[in-house]
Amino acid sequence: MKDWIGLLARLVTGGVWIVAGALKLPDPSESVRAVRAYDLLPEAVVPTVGHLLPVLEVVVGLLLVLGLLTRPAAVVSSLLFVAFIIGISAAWARGLQIDCGCFGGGGYDADATSKYPWEIARDVGLLALSGWLAVRPRSRWALDPVLFGSSHATDSAENERNPHVEEHA
Amino acid sequence: MSKNTPERREARKQRAAEALRQKQAEERRRRLVAIGSVVAAVLVIVGGLTWWQSTRDTTGETADTVPSVASGSESDGTPGELDGYGIFVGQPDAPTTVTVYEDLQCPACANLEAQLGEPLAAAVDAGDVRLEYRMISFLDRYSTNEYSSRALNAALAVLDTAGIEAFRAFHDDLYANQPEEGGPGFEDDELIDRAVAAGATESEVRPQIEDKVYEQWIENATDQMSKDGYNSTPTILIDGKDADAQQLAELLQ
Repeated sequence: MKDWIGLLARLVTGGVWIVAGALKLPDPSESVRAVRAYDLLPEAVVPTVGHLLPVLEVVVGLLLVLGLLTRPAAVVSSLLFVAFIIGISAAWARGLQIDCGCFGGGGYDADATSKYPWEIARDVGLLALSGWLAVRPRSRWALDPVLFGSSHATDSAENERNPHVEEHA
Repeated sequence: MSKNTPERREARKQRAAEALRQKQAEERRRRLVAIGSVVAAVLVIVGGLTWWQSTRDTTGETADTVPSVASGSESDGTPGELDGYGIFVGQPDAPTTVTVYEDLQCPACANLEAQLGEPLAAAVDAGDVRLEYRMISFLDRYSTNEYSSRALNAALAVLDTAGIEAFRAFHDDLYANQPEEGGPGFEDDELIDRAVAAGATESEVRPQIEDKVYEQWIENATDQMSKDGYNSTPTILIDGKDADAQQLAELLQ
């Protein structure tokens, strides 16, 4: 049952990352401006972050959907959501009116203030799913066990079936 | 058939345990190599794509073609000047300077122009206001044919070849007839026709419009606005201070 929850968490979070990243890829200069609009990072790193973020989002999304390197991908995913929640909260607290740029775009948005709580709530939900996967990366239909052999969890399952084999750590 | 003494049983058990330990160590090594390879591949992909994104972002590259203000076309003596990314209209010694950041695809800018365009133009011509247009383009996504940047490029072509009055007429015409967001904006031929109606010469503006010669300049102007800390159009400044349409309307009364 828990493995199905993991699969659902992977598909939802990964799917959101792929869409969000893919929408930003076509216009790198727009991503840079969206990052700059938050006014949180020093100008020296703004362009690099603007170029890196959409790529990272698509790659993390693909890893989650495939169930490949699930735990590290979920950790990166969690860190990104924490960063975004901080960024949106900071914009809200400082009275900035910006489009979060979550799915492309960015810059000014007259209705920004009414959208901030929803954006934060959405990211908190996705952070929870990412956190679940970081703690419990095993799930159905994943590439990890296929490529990297059985995990410790399956080892112990086998050991339960073969109680005569002693564990040697 | 050997005797099954306790010693031999013990030795067999140890050999089996040793073999299992080796098998597990090998298995662990194999898994680490596999994980390491995939991690390395992912890092290479992320690094490569990020580099590719940065090469596609031409922001900050020197513009080959920079617009200037064609001189000798001011019919009523209102001077025009291009300084940095600002297109200045009006007497340099006017008591007040008004700056507006505008995108030709932006509906809120069209509203501002409809409301205050005429009194603003009158104040400029009367010598009361010096107007600085900061024309930028970030709304290409809102048309099917990159109208925002093509329209601005056309406006710069008019400025460069026919001067400030033709630019003003063209700018006002494009706002008065602004294409809806989400659809196709004017094609090049339509922009050229309107440029000619505003006072430009077709043979001069056509190549600049069709080749989009000011693309890099527009990219840099847009980036400069972001660096100046402004994220929206229209942004209004009065003597360099943030202002809104209300304050501008009061100024013009």
